[in-house]
Amino acid sequence: MNGFFIGVCLFLLLNICLGLLRVWRGPTVADRLLTTQLFGTTGMAILIVLAGYLGELTLLNVAITFNVLAVLLVICFVQVWKPGKKGGKA
Amino acid sequence: MSLWIDSLLAVLAVFLAVRCLLAPTLPQCVFLFFAFGLTLALAWARLGAVDVAIAEAAIAAGFLGVLLIDALRDFSRSRSTGEGGDRPSRVSQGLVGAGVLVFLVVAIEAVWRVPNGGGLTALAADNLPQSGVDHPVTAVLLNYRSYDTWLEVGVVLMALLALFATGGREYFCRPVVRAVDPLLRQVILLFTPVLFLVGAFLLYLGKTEPGGAFQAAVLWGAGGILLHLGGWPVFASMAPWLRHLLLTAGFGFFLLLGFLFMAGGGALFEYPLAQAGLLILVVETLAALSIAAALTAIFAYFNGMSAESAEPFTPASS
Repeated sequence: MNGFFIGVCLFLLLNICLGLLRVWRGPTVADRLLTTQLFGTTGMAILIVLAGYLGELTLLNVAITFNVLAVLLVICFVQVWKPGKKGGKA
Repeated sequence: MSLWIDSLLAVLAVFLAVRCLLAPTLPQCVFLFFAFGLTLALAWARLGAVDVAIAEAAIAAGFLGVLLIDALRDFSRSRSTGEGGDRPSRVSQGLVGAGVLVFLVVAIEAVWRVPNGGGLTALAADNLPQSGVDHPVTAVLLNYRSYDTWLEVGVVLMALLALFATGGREYFCRPVVRAVDPLLRQVILLFTPVLFLVGAFLLYLGKTEPGGAFQAAVLWGAGGILLHLGGWPVFASMAPWLRHLLLTAGFGFFLLLGFLFMAGGGALFEYPLAQAGLLILVVETLAALSIAAALTAIFAYFNGMSAESAEPFTPASS
């Protein structure tokens, strides 16, 4: 069973590594922002798997914190960038 | 076997840190920094420091994230208009580099010498029954070393005062464009109470498990920032006396408590044994409220400062 947990963790971590490619190359900020959403979800998954593996349920609280704050970045991006582009006064 | 996870995390964290420093463009740098924050949070969780992991997740993913995105907008705008693109001079670069180097040497020197017998861990664990809480980290932060925590609350307040001093206070009153999209409005209205609840949960959890005032404060502050982004500037539309009370409640109550203890013949933050648990909870709640208000205000300030094309704001009648 431990091997399974570790395998899943490694797979998710490699997912993050692949996502870095988009952060590096992504032509627009929106592409990169979507990668951070992937990171948030994957990080949450890793934390949940680790909580099961280590038997430490407090790790779930870290996952909750990631979860509720993930929406903040997207809303900030939508609200902060859109008016600037539309207005175009600067 | 789990050595694989640890080594991959360690390599990833160092790689991301180096990449972030050497990134050629600003957006790459900012988003690599987010990824670095994530790996750091995972590393803290793997090391068993769940308190730090929650704080890192909350601050890096939440508060710092919105600040950096807001700053990125300003920079990309000034870049496109061709102003503000000059690099700092060699002298200032060298001075900053030397300062960081000195700080690094001092920091390494400070943690190099591990005291005999594992330091104060045993002492902290032994005195846990007298501290009023069951979680050693909270006991250290709010009982054994409350002086440090008090000053940390003061540092946040000081950052806000510096912003008040350098620019006008009118910046708060400029919210971003009111969210007109019904989906966006609903998401904001749905998530604000959730953020508040999770923050309160972490605050109360701090008594027995990882969690506590600073993590709760970031979540509450995120709620305030969310409302501000949706066009409900909660902080700006408050009555000034309420605003000032909210900002200073944490620092002030701490101070008052300390003086009352001293007047009673004790040390500065020597809680009476019977009420220690309750007092710590009250102090934590007020500190979290103050920090949350300060974080909201700091974001509102930066956001208002950069929104040149915002219409003049009229406070809500309520």
